Amino acid sequence: MSLEKITDPRRMRHWLGHMETDYRYTLGIAGERFLNEIKENARIMGARCKRCGVIYVPPKMYCEECFEKLEEWIDLGTRGEVYTYTIAYVDMDGNRLAEPVIYALITFGDAYGGLIHKLGEVKPEEVWIGMPVEAVFKPPQERKGSITDIKYFKPAQ
Amino acid sequence: MSDVAIVGVGCVGFKSIMPELSYKELMFEAAVKAYEDAGGIDPRKDVDAFVTCAEDYWEGFSIFDEFVPDQLGAVLGHLFTVSGDGLLGLANAYMLIKTGHFDVVVVEAHSKASDILTFYDIVAFALDPIMVRPLGGNPYYIAGMEMHRYLAETGTTLEQCAEVVVKNKRNALANPYAAYGADITVDQVLDSETWFYPLKKLEVSPLSDGCIVMVLASERMAKKLTDKPVWVEGVGWATETPNLETRDWCRAIYTEIAADMAYKDAGITCPQREIDFVELSDLFAYKELQHLEALRLCRYGEAGMLLEDGVTTRDGDLPVNVSGGCLGMGYALEASGMQRLLEAVLQLRGEAEGRQIPDAEVGLAHTWRGIPTATGAVAVLSNIKE
Ligand SMILES: [Zn+2]
Repeated sequence: MSLEKITDPRRMRHWLGHMETDYRYTLGIAGERFLNEIKENARIMGARCKRCGVIYVPPKMYCEECFEKLEEWIDLGTRGEVYTYTIAYVDMDGNRLAEPVIYALITFGDAYGGLIHKLGEVKPEEVWIGMPVEAVFKPPQERKGSITDIKYFKPAQ
Repeated sequence: MSDVAIVGVGCVGFKSIMPELSYKELMFEAAVKAYEDAGGIDPRKDVDAFVTCAEDYWEGFSIFDEFVPDQLGAVLGHLFTVSGDGLLGLANAYMLIKTGHFDVVVVEAHSKASDILTFYDIVAFALDPIMVRPLGGNPYYIAGMEMHRYLAETGTTLEQCAEVVVKNKRNALANPYAAYGADITVDQVLDSETWFYPLKKLEVSPLSDGCIVMVLASERMAKKLTDKPVWVEGVGWATETPNLETRDWCRAIYTEIAADMAYKDAGITCPQREIDFVELSDLFAYKELQHLEALRLCRYGEAGMLLEDGVTTRDGDLPVNVSGGCLGMGYALEASGMQRLLEAVLQLRGEAEGRQIPDAEVGLAHTWRGIPTATGAVAVLSNIKE
């Protein structure tokens, strides 16, 4: 252990480092089609397993249960339901956010899975588990084929 | 197949920050203690293999496994690194000895969390880069979402979750290895800042620095090295799914599967009756309750009531996290499971001093790899040779 009493850890010798890591993540066949449907047609799609009948959202190329290739695509509409949610009050550094952000897992009928997304046009205290919500898309010209082409989900009318 | 025993333990820390030691010195000091504890073995000649547990991004290194041999006395030795929690390292060491080709195996895990300047960014980098990461924000929101659904489904209350913090921080006061012992009230927890509703700031385990090294041995060698062997009766581990969208948001399935594997290995058929005490992951307060249920030590949704009835306190029928858990010792990244294991070993040796559980014979150590994983591991330990 150290021989001297340490009163200020900032004076301990250290070296600052920075890891810069840039990647290009490949969407893959299922991911590309899913995000393209959002971009071009403002549609949320699922993929159905022909063996067990499970509909995956987000869609995958294979069924994790049967290991079957998924080739049937199904339009799930733009409405879902809040399965669970949280209200985030702190940012990446643990500091208070100016405005809280509501994150939710949105499920779509009988489909297996759902989408993690934000809720908007609603006050935190008005959200409830089971609340029907619908996707709010960015205008077509602003959509880039990203999950953020959906701005957020808002309470369904 | 030989039985496997833990014959030596060494711990340095845990503290909120240990700026005086580099991670290598941290490992060195814990290793020296462990080798001394294991009858004074010499790592340069008495150890057949070394297993370290580390994740590159926690360390700030690429291919961190290249940076671990020297401080353990393992240069020119047989070493590999598990990119996972210390309990997975234990499982690997256990299997090595079970093969019959290894007699003495060392396991190491550490945390130098205070060296990480952008902790939450690293956690966020573990999210799916296409479906989830673009949403941004502090990734611990996932814990808030899970806690919310778990409470809604089980009827577990906010007060019960807060009580976990009170219990574990109080337990930590009696543990010299714990960084965050405190005597606080349920109201203080409930009045602390809301971070991710319904999750409160005081319900999130703060990070800590430290290192734990353990020496495992075959039955033949264990008898030579110690008169207090702690037997590893069973190990188990499991991953549910990496997908947030399809995982179970109420039950800790990964822990159920890991526990079943460990119980089968250990020949345990009725865990409620056969296990004397439990050390488990309470990285977030509600996780203690969820994990207790997943370990089949009570029914689903009933852990909160067990806690209220005092069953899980230090002098209760099933003490949980007498060490203080992660809430009391601090979240030590891949060393979290080793913290749980260390307490189990000390209790089973009768060396837990002021926090000793009388007549403890069978203990369980559990870990969870934290947000955003659905990965857990379990070890069942005993001081009685079957
Ligand atoms: Zn299928």
